[in-house]
Amino acid sequence: MNRRTTLLGAAEILAWWAALALLWLVFISAVDALELVVGTSAALVGAFAAWGTRRAVSGW
Amino acid sequence: MNGWTVAATAALAVGVGATVWGVATGPLRRRVVAQNLSTSLACPALLLLSEGYDRPSYVDLALLLALLGPVGTLVFARLLVEDLAADPPRTWGLTYAVAAFGAAVVIAVCVAAGPSRALVKLLVVGALLIGGNLTASRALSGGFAGSRRG
Repeated sequence: MNRRTTLLGAAEILAWWAALALLWLVFISAVDALELVVGTSAALVGAFAAWGTRRAVSGW
Repeated sequence: MNGWTVAATAALAVGVGATVWGVATGPLRRRVVAQNLSTSLACPALLLLSEGYDRPSYVDLALLLALLGPVGTLVFARLLVEDLAADPPRTWGLTYAVAAFGAAVVIAVCVAAGPSRALVKLLVVGALLIGGNLTASRALSGGFAGSRRG
């Protein structure tokens, strides 16, 4: 990985993280601190998984 | 009983009942379509029940069903690809009718919910429901056989 692909990958993970965290925020019934901590953590794990899956499928 | 529970009962009795009959009888092309449509009808019924009984947690069940139902159909479509290629289902009219019913239910519960986070959740459920239904139907009608990448 060179500098450009690293930056692109980081941007993609950030985009996935934002989208998944937003989805979590929409799905929960009550918004409190614990939900936000769990939601952002789970969304970060999901963002890495989505990035890896997308790379495996599209091949770049 | 209110209008929501009456509509949910009708969807379950007429819709899901008919799909159970369709899954249990007839040729393979009819069974796979009925299997696909069963979750597409049970999901709007759960949305109607959640509104009728005022239990928002039912929407979570509808969300899961909208997500996992088409996935199950895709597994069937993949495993039965050779049988379905020989005798593919041609039921786009029924598929679009069920998709329109799902859209009508989602719009009705969205209007009842009003502008809120719950409204966005219902829209996500509706998008998964209709998109998943159409994708799975396309897979059953030869989407895998016609796919260039297998």
